[in-house]
Amino acid sequence: MTNLEKYNNAFIETFEITEDQLVGLKYQDIEAWDSVGHMGLVAALEDTFDIMMDTDDIIDFSSYEKGKEILSKEDYGVKF
Amino acid sequence: MIEYNKRNIRTWSLLGPSGAHGTAVMELAETNPDVLILTADLCFFSGLERFKTAYPDKLYNVGIAEQNMIGVAAGLAKEGFIPFANTYASFCASRCADQVRVNMAYMGLPIKLIGLTAGYGAGVLGATHVSIEDISLMRALPNITVISPADCTEIIKAILAAAETSDPTYIRLTGPMNMPIVYKEDYNFAIGKAVTIQKGYDVAIIATGSMVAQAQKAAKLLEADGVKCSVINMHTIKPIDSDAILEANENHKLLVTAEEHNVIGGLYGAVAEVLCKEGVHKPVLSIGINDFFAHAGSYSYQLDISELTAESMKKKILSAIN
Repeated sequence: MTNLEKYNNAFIETFEITEDQLVGLKYQDIEAWDSVGHMGLVAALEDTFDIMMDTDDIIDFSSYEKGKEILSKEDYGVKF
Repeated sequence: MIEYNKRNIRTWSLLGPSGAHGTAVMELAETNPDVLILTADLCFFSGLERFKTAYPDKLYNVGIAEQNMIGVAAGLAKEGFIPFANTYASFCASRCADQVRVNMAYMGLPIKLIGLTAGYGAGVLGATHVSIEDISLMRALPNITVISPADCTEIIKAILAAAETSDPTYIRLTGPMNMPIVYKEDYNFAIGKAVTIQKGYDVAIIATGSMVAQAQKAAKLLEADGVKCSVINMHTIKPIDSDAILEANENHKLLVTAEEHNVIGGLYGAVAEVLCKEGVHKPVLSIGINDFFAHAGSYSYQLDISELTAESMKKKILSAIN
């Protein structure tokens, strides 16, 4: 499974959505991506990529696209 | 049904004590029709965002009227409900002292009072919102069970366990968002039964609430200096687990109590009361807030100036045994 597929699966499983909903998805666009869902997503991504996210990055993680940008940083080293 | 798996435990840690509270009461609403939730203008802050949407008929926001909230909770308890009421810990204990004393302690109504941001959790708001005396006040009242969970998983377990008893109960929630994880997997939690997290033979650190994680770190630091520590999670302050304290006294050279609370009247006092009944006992080092109000500041700043970090704990313990 590629990193992009793993990343997508974290969203799909956490929010119980389909792949076609991912592009452009933002925090609080859907009911499941509330503050509780956000932390569930972070926990899922940490588990998937074996990383520990910084608090600032957790707060900045405001969309599907922004998340990819954050995880691509040197701190986490996830290549998409 | 709540699953105590790695991903959920990390999610609760990220959410912090209030979020864990919200998770627990969602579970209660799904499983226990008698449970109702009351809050004093802290709906979202107390982790009830999803609860409000899912169960609007089970949630009562009484506004900034904490004393009235206890009265409303008492009425609901008299009608057979199990009310969980929440507000800042400082307001639970000192502002509502008379209502708690009469309705919970004297009448014995099964109100479950959740003290949010106990210790320095709301320290950025200053002394009015800091709660360093709530254990002392609550445990001096007859009939009230006092619980101080060590991490977010234990918060959930404590809230679920409290719903199963008919006792008036106070649960103080310490620690920040992204709270350190003490329990990485499921374990047995029983009100009144301390948990030995690790065993040593030199020093027994009896800790409660957020200080359990700090005690674990301190024990690791001390190990490098050749000092072996037991860490005992005293999550229930009342009724206190006397057997665990006496066993620690028997098997260690020094006892240490660690609490995010004033050194007067809290865990240290409760442990000392047990030991004094025994007569001869080992020295007891008290690590807590040394009877002062810290200036407003971040959680980490206030822990630091109160010398409640693992590093400070290590220094104090080394000084006590050398």
